Amino acid sequence: MHSNTISVGYGSVNTVKIGSTEPLVFIGGPCAIESKEHAFKVADMINKICDKHSIPWIYKSCFDKDCRSSPDSYHGLGLDGLKILSEIRDEFGCPVVSDFSNPAWAEPVGEVCDMVQVPAYLCRQTTILKGAAETGRPIHLKKGQFMSPWNMKNSVRKIESYGNKQILLTDRGTFFGYNMLINDYRNFPIMMETSYPVCFDATHSIQLPTSMGNISGGQREFIPTLTRAAAGAGIHALFMEVHDDPDNAMSDANTQLNIKYLENVLVQAKTVHMTRIELFNKLGEDDVK
Amino acid sequence: MLNNIKEIEISEAMFETDNFPVISSTTLLKEAIEEMTKYNIGIACIVDKKDLLGVFTDGDLRRLLLSHQKPFPALFNDDVSTYMTKNPSVIQKSSSIFEAMNLINEKKIWDLPVVENKKLIGLVNLHTLVKYINKK
Repeated sequence: MHSNTISVGYGSVNTVKIGSTEPLVFIGGPCAIESKEHAFKVADMINKICDKHSIPWIYKSCFDKDCRSSPDSYHGLGLDGLKILSEIRDEFGCPVVSDFSNPAWAEPVGEVCDMVQVPAYLCRQTTILKGAAETGRPIHLKKGQFMSPWNMKNSVRKIESYGNKQILLTDRGTFFGYNMLINDYRNFPIMMETSYPVCFDATHSIQLPTSMGNISGGQREFIPTLTRAAAGAGIHALFMEVHDDPDNAMSDANTQLNIKYLENVLVQAKTVHMTRIELFNKLGEDDVK
Repeated sequence: MLNNIKEIEISEAMFETDNFPVISSTTLLKEAIEEMTKYNIGIACIVDKKDLLGVFTDGDLRRLLLSHQKPFPALFNDDVSTYMTKNPSVIQKSSSIFEAMNLINEKKIWDLPVVENKKLIGLVNLHTLVKYINKK
C-alpha cells in the first residue's frame, strides 16, 4: 500500500522525506530536554550513527512534559527549551520535533520546530489538533492507546479541516487491560488507508503505563523484536527515545533505549525496511483479498 | 395518459437534489446510511461538486455485510466511496418517463439518478414514477 510523502524541515536544515518508498527515517532523542549540554551530547551521538549509515533523522526532545504520572516528576524546561532545540537545528542541520500539549504554544513551537508532535493522550482533542495544524508544520500524530486505528481518521480529518495535510501517524501501543500495552501491527495498513505515512514508536510501545504506582515501567528488552516486526509491517519512520544513561533519565527512565544499542537497532530496522521494499519491487505489493 | 409518457421529460417526475441523499466521497459509511434512513430511500448519490461519482444503495449495503468481515466500528468509519458503485445506471434529463421505466425494468433497479452533462440534477425511482402516473 502506498502512502503520500511528507517533507519535514524548513530553512537551512536537511529536508527529511517520510513515506512511500523513501528510506526509513529515525525520529529520536531524549524524552525530555534535560540541559543544553545533555541535549547536544545525545544529538551528536545520534548524528554520528545516522551519518555513518545514511539514515535520515529528526531530533525529538520535549521542552514540556505535561503527561507525567506524578506532579513531582520532572516537567521540563518549558518554552526556554525551544531555544536549545533551535540551537540543535543550527548545529546539526537536522529538523526537530517536540510535544505540543497546549494550543497557547502554537506560535513559539511553530517558529522553531520543523514538526509538531501531538501526544497520544491528546490525539482527539480538537483544540490541540487545531493549534498544531495552524502552525503550518507537519504533524506527528500519535495514536492514543485507547483509540482504534480506523478512528484515527477522525483526528486526521480534523487536522485537514484546519488546512494541514502533512501528517505522520504513529502507533505507540494499545491498552491491553490496565497498565499494559500490546502492539497490533494491523494498525499500520489500517492507518495508511488515510494515505498518510506511518511510524512505530518502539520505546513507548514497551511501556507499562503507570505500572509502578506513580511512574510508568517498561520492558526495554522487547524493543529490537518489536522494531524488526514493525519495519517488516511497512512503517516509514521509527521513533525511539534514546538516552546515554536511561536509568538516571529525568523522564521515562524505564523505557528509553540506552544509546549504546541504537546503532544495532537502527541498522536492523533499516535492513528490514529495504528488504521489504526490494521484495515488493520483485514480487509486487500485498494484494490478498 | 400512458401514451404520453413517451413524450414527458423525466424532470417532470423526478426528486430535486434536496429531496434525497447527495453526499461527498469522504462521507463516512455510517453517515451515508443515516442520510438514507433520514430520507427513507435506498440510495445515496456521491458527488464531487455536482458531478456524479457513484451511488451507494441498500443492495450495496447487503453485499457489503456479506462480503466483509471487518468489525462494525471500522466499517462505519470507512469512506462511503470505498464501497460505492461507480458508473451506475443513469438517465439523461432529456429522456422520457417511458425510457426511465424501461431502464429500471431492464436493469432490475429501483432508483435512477438523473443527470445533465454528468451533473446530478435529480432522482427517479419506481415510487416517484407510479405516483406521477397515478396522479395523471
